[in-house]
Amino acid sequence: MSAEENPAAEPAPVIDVQGDGRWMSQHNRFVQECKDAEPDVLFVGDSMVQLMQQYEVWRELFSPLHALNFGIGGDTTCNVLWRLQNGELENIRPKVVVLWVGTNNHEHTADQVAGGILAIAQLLLSRLTKSKIIVLGLLPRGEFPNPLREKNASVNNLLRASLPRLGPVQLLDVGGSFVHSDGTISSRDMFDFLHLTASAYRTISTSLHDLLLQLLEETPQERRASLV
Amino acid sequence: MSGDSNPAATPTPCQDTQGDGRWMSLHNRFVSDSKGKEPDVLFVGDSLIQLLHEFEVWRKLFSPLHALNFGIGGDATQHVLWRLINGELDYISPKVVVLWVGTNNHGHTPEQICGGLMAIIDVIHQKLPHAHTLVLGLLPRGKSPNPLRERNASVNAQVQAEVASLSHVSFLDMDPGFIQSDGSIAHQDMYDYLHLTPQAYQRVCQPLHERIKSLLDKQVP
Repeated sequence: MSAEENPAAEPAPVIDVQGDGRWMSQHNRFVQECKDAEPDVLFVGDSMVQLMQQYEVWRELFSPLHALNFGIGGDTTCNVLWRLQNGELENIRPKVVVLWVGTNNHEHTADQVAGGILAIAQLLLSRLTKSKIIVLGLLPRGEFPNPLREKNASVNNLLRASLPRLGPVQLLDVGGSFVHSDGTISSRDMFDFLHLTASAYRTISTSLHDLLLQLLEETPQERRASLV
Repeated sequence: MSGDSNPAATPTPCQDTQGDGRWMSLHNRFVSDSKGKEPDVLFVGDSLIQLLHEFEVWRKLFSPLHALNFGIGGDATQHVLWRLINGELDYISPKVVVLWVGTNNHGHTPEQICGGLMAIIDVIHQKLPHAHTLVLGLLPRGKSPNPLRERNASVNAQVQAEVASLSHVSFLDMDPGFIQSDGSIAHQDMYDYLHLTPQAYQRVCQPLHERIKSLLDKQVP
């Protein structure tokens, strides 16, 4: 699906309708961070990424890996694509990129959302030729079964097979434990049935952290070779 | 300003445009939560209230006061008004209600937003005649000076004036000085120039905690 056919793969900034320009302020800050920092890991996406940095788990597990957080609440695949094309990948060479976006693509079908995520993965691989990509699966949402859960699961299924065909990209699905046998999601895991609590972030961070360590360990060889 | 002519003071539920009914789930959970509990303090408002519950500061400062948190992200005054009229106050008798809402009232004037807050204060007083309502001032927002900062400051001035004559309401300015000398707000305080970081919550919650405690002490017969 080309960008012309897929609106979810069309880069677009967020227009400032509220009047305080916060989205652009955050984007500009990230562009500046690219000039100053040398991250080994880059997290990019929506509020699922952004909020993680406000919890202890970030300081404990991800800061030590020299990670940068370029999450913006509300972002769709279009917004992330625009940001990455407009400065947020300049001057940095992270070994791993963690991408988590798609749950806010309300205007798009599951096929389109998956296509948007694939487009972002392709952009990352072409700009960061030595990087590996982890795409986090979209989580279930809402207190009870609802169409968005099915949509997000469809996106994950589409990505599972198609992502690895692009290169060193994989899907990491961390949503398995959230839906209980009665079909409900607890507010102890998602305080508003969308965003994660501190304890839920801990739950998902274990496998993510393990995978990151594994991928980071695989890359030092190249670095050492360049020092010779 | 009557409810008819002021959208900020017209009780309005949130429409489920996304498809997962989360707003109504939260409202229903607040109503059912309140049936089993006897909070001394009720916090109600938007995401600034809701997120407060997720950080350590809640456990340290507010849980010990027997507090409930009825915050919903994105809520404007008309949404909080609807929620309070439709069950969230029916089963509890807190001594203090902490109200923090208004920054999401996009498209409304400061007069309308103030009217919305006064309507909420009225409903609380009707349903809980013995409770004291503590209205929290809207914070500045945005990285640099912008119209929303002026709007929020104007709301605060108007509300402060209106509640001065009411014995069952008081106003607390929640801004410890977030605007720096160059006019900017730091992302270490507001990570997206709207929502507070845990360290900023620590800063604003100390005086809030003190004020609530003194209000609770006054209420002891």
